[in-house]
Amino acid sequence: MVVVAVLVAVVFAAPLGYLVARTATTDLDHGALITSERTLRPLARTLGLATGVALAASVLGTSIAWITTRTDLPFRRAVRVVATMPLVIPSFVGSFALLAALGPHGVLSDVPLVGSLPRPTGFFGALGVLTLLTYPYVLLPVAARLRALPASLEEGARLLGRGPWRVFATVVIPQIRAAIMAGALLVFLYVVSDFGAVSMLRYRTLSVTIFENRLVNQPVSLTLGLLLGLIAVAVVAAERWLVRRDPLPPSMSSSQPVEVRLGRWKVVAGGAMGAVIVAALVVPISALATWAWRGLTTDVVHIGIDDLSLAALARPSWNSASVSLIAAIVAVGLLWPLAFLTTRSHSRIGSAAGIMVTSGFALPGLVIALSLVFWALQSDLIAPFYQTMPLLVLGYVVHFGAQALQAANVAVGAVPRRFDDAARLLGASRARRLLTVDLPLMLPGLAAGAGLVLLSAMKELPATLLLAPTGFDTLATRIWSAAEDGFLAEAGLASMVLVAVSSVLTWLLVIRRADRLA
Amino acid sequence: MLGRLYNWREAALVSPAMSKRSPLRALLSLLVLVALVAAACSSDSDSSDGAAGTGTAPEDGGTLTLYTGRGEDLMQPVIEAFEEATGITVDVRYGGTAELALLIQAEGDRSPADVFLSQSPGAVGFLAGEGMLAQIDEDVANLVEERFRNDDRRWVGITGRIRTLVYNTELVDPADLPASVFDLADPEFASRLGVAPTNGSFQDWVTALSALAGEDATLEFLTALADAGAPTYPKNGPIVEAVGRGEIPFGLVNHYYAHILKAENPDLPVENYIFPDADLGALLLTTSASIVAPTNNADLANRFIEFLLGDEAQRIFAADEFEYPLAKGQVPVIDLPPLGEIDLPAYDLEELGGGLARTQELIDESGVAGV
Repeated sequence: MVVVAVLVAVVFAAPLGYLVARTATTDLDHGALITSERTLRPLARTLGLATGVALAASVLGTSIAWITTRTDLPFRRAVRVVATMPLVIPSFVGSFALLAALGPHGVLSDVPLVGSLPRPTGFFGALGVLTLLTYPYVLLPVAARLRALPASLEEGARLLGRGPWRVFATVVIPQIRAAIMAGALLVFLYVVSDFGAVSMLRYRTLSVTIFENRLVNQPVSLTLGLLLGLIAVAVVAAERWLVRRDPLPPSMSSSQPVEVRLGRWKVVAGGAMGAVIVAALVVPISALATWAWRGLTTDVVHIGIDDLSLAALARPSWNSASVSLIAAIVAVGLLWPLAFLTTRSHSRIGSAAGIMVTSGFALPGLVIALSLVFWALQSDLIAPFYQTMPLLVLGYVVHFGAQALQAANVAVGAVPRRFDDAARLLGASRARRLLTVDLPLMLPGLAAGAGLVLLSAMKELPATLLLAPTGFDTLATRIWSAAEDGFLAEAGLASMVLVAVSSVLTWLLVIRRADRLA
Repeated sequence: MLGRLYNWREAALVSPAMSKRSPLRALLSLLVLVALVAAACSSDSDSSDGAAGTGTAPEDGGTLTLYTGRGEDLMQPVIEAFEEATGITVDVRYGGTAELALLIQAEGDRSPADVFLSQSPGAVGFLAGEGMLAQIDEDVANLVEERFRNDDRRWVGITGRIRTLVYNTELVDPADLPASVFDLADPEFASRLGVAPTNGSFQDWVTALSALAGEDATLEFLTALADAGAPTYPKNGPIVEAVGRGEIPFGLVNHYYAHILKAENPDLPVENYIFPDADLGALLLTTSASIVAPTNNADLANRFIEFLLGDEAQRIFAADEFEYPLAKGQVPVIDLPPLGEIDLPAYDLEELGGGLARTQELIDESGVAGV
């Protein structure tokens, strides 16, 4: 097991190792660069935005989770399913569509209420758009956790005369805190690494600075990339430390959770859920649909439009889904032992490897891709795999393994150790215990983790462009290439297919199993 | 004691969450997943065999690897025409121009790329500086006028794009438009002028501006835009869209976006204004082709570039993308003013590569890229 942890740590250290190796060989005054205003201002924006989005997504995700699992809101199951869907929208597509949709001249400017919303730009624009795109990272684990909590504590508090709000604050929150933090950490790292949304919404974070200097001033770009990676390591380590002090109690509840009657608050809660779904899903998808519709119905002779058809998107759809599925399975297979090591055995090496894994989520995809190119071509052993499927899969795993690891940690932690003890007492061997006791109980949680990796890989762009086998196109690369050339109709159609395919996969892999995510 | 432990386990297994999902079903789902993966793998190898194999080409003319910053919709027809005409198979990698340049740099001697198509002179300058570009055959390079190619034959221009001021025809009377791009520094214009300061073509233009008008004048111009709060956009396309929906009256862009968007939406009220009298606002930027140095396919690479400069390819570029074909004797096919009739400023595109780092600093310093 320890060997596995060391191996995993080495693989996931590839991006940081690359940044260190490249940075060390440049003659640049790193200290002066890092303390210059050129660096500190975007850095402050990155940290401010990531913190803001993590907080907002925590509040929004937890509220939706509570309303849809613990109240008598009508259609709450359907709401919970639909509210998870923003997870499938790539941030560059979501912000592109929201920008085009909103504002006095937007695609939806004639629609009542929606038409009067301002265009999302700057800090608050980025905060709003990124919160809408990322809150499902909090919603999923918190909703699962809420459903698994034993009812006895809350019933006890109610019997002793506490109102529903105080029960929530003093009894429920402490029990779901770890789940909120696990989700918030993913949101924080997502925002740190994001380039697609912030560049569209005109908010210059550190990732934008890294991007701007990538070609014209490479040493600056590399040093700032390393800075970003080190910040991620520090944040992940801090989260680990906090969670360690506040361990997740194993839970296998068999009782029905406490349900709160909303009464006349039903209208307010229902309205709020509706507003979130409209903003996060209906508005962007309407903009995409408008473009696609205009392209399909306008009779123009133009090269990009000639092949505008769903059939042309079949191969990219299949490519996206299959390679992402493989990456998801590899990620969970690779990281499950690590979760076992950290959560069950509290191994320090396991924790260190876990921090390495999680930091990969905070680096821009371009850095991940270039680091794998760099290492792959260093050795004759790996070079034959260059620009083949295995290296692309590895890129996805290194970039998104954090999501699988978080889910796996939760899955392992939720299975009480006493089952294992009992089996051992009955004379079952270690392998048999693993296969017949632990694995079956953890499998749904692991599958949910795999689902998250799969969705992220489906919408990944920069690493796909550089690492994919030559000629291998995915839905994300189709959307990018169409939008790049100004063919909005094709971009809109491909985006809608991406959202549809991802939704089906989310339904199958994540939502039906989400109850195991905490 | 043992019985009690056993009951614990049983209680857990029949808990609501588990009753629907027995271990057996979970294992079955896993098997289905594995089967799916196996299917995916086999079909992937099928498709890659088909792409890489030479059996599908009409005659076995070899294989060429192309890295292109020019998008798939724009390149695919040209590549298909080339494959049909020569029997050579082209493996294509699409990507951002800058990203592909970084990829070639990272690949170094092991780069599989034979030809690199760049959307921006800056990226080519970068690779030339890294020693990653080989010389193009003289007779191929000579298909293009001297001013649109590298003296050392490290790149040749394929198409040209002119920097223009795009304006909304419902909001702006063309008679009110200024004679020089520098007049846009007036807050009256600047506060409503869309720019894309993080975009390659804007940066290439700023680099040329500082070479021709001096760094001080350039910084002054950019700072004036910043002080007036010129709205910024990530790229040219969104500027033209914003102009089209009336969000801003005008913006600094490349000429072809207005044509492409109008092809999809003919009612879009946008027009291009090309600055007259060799004004620096009307710079011509080239998209170019280069041979990647580690290639052992130089012959095929030269043939491909020659094809890009031939009638068929040049006509596709001109007709479908509204760009200026740069091969000698070619004319734009749509209602664009011919290159000969435009008074372009004289600027050696060779100088672009070196000045980009300084350009980034100027843009940062001016604050035009916003917060």
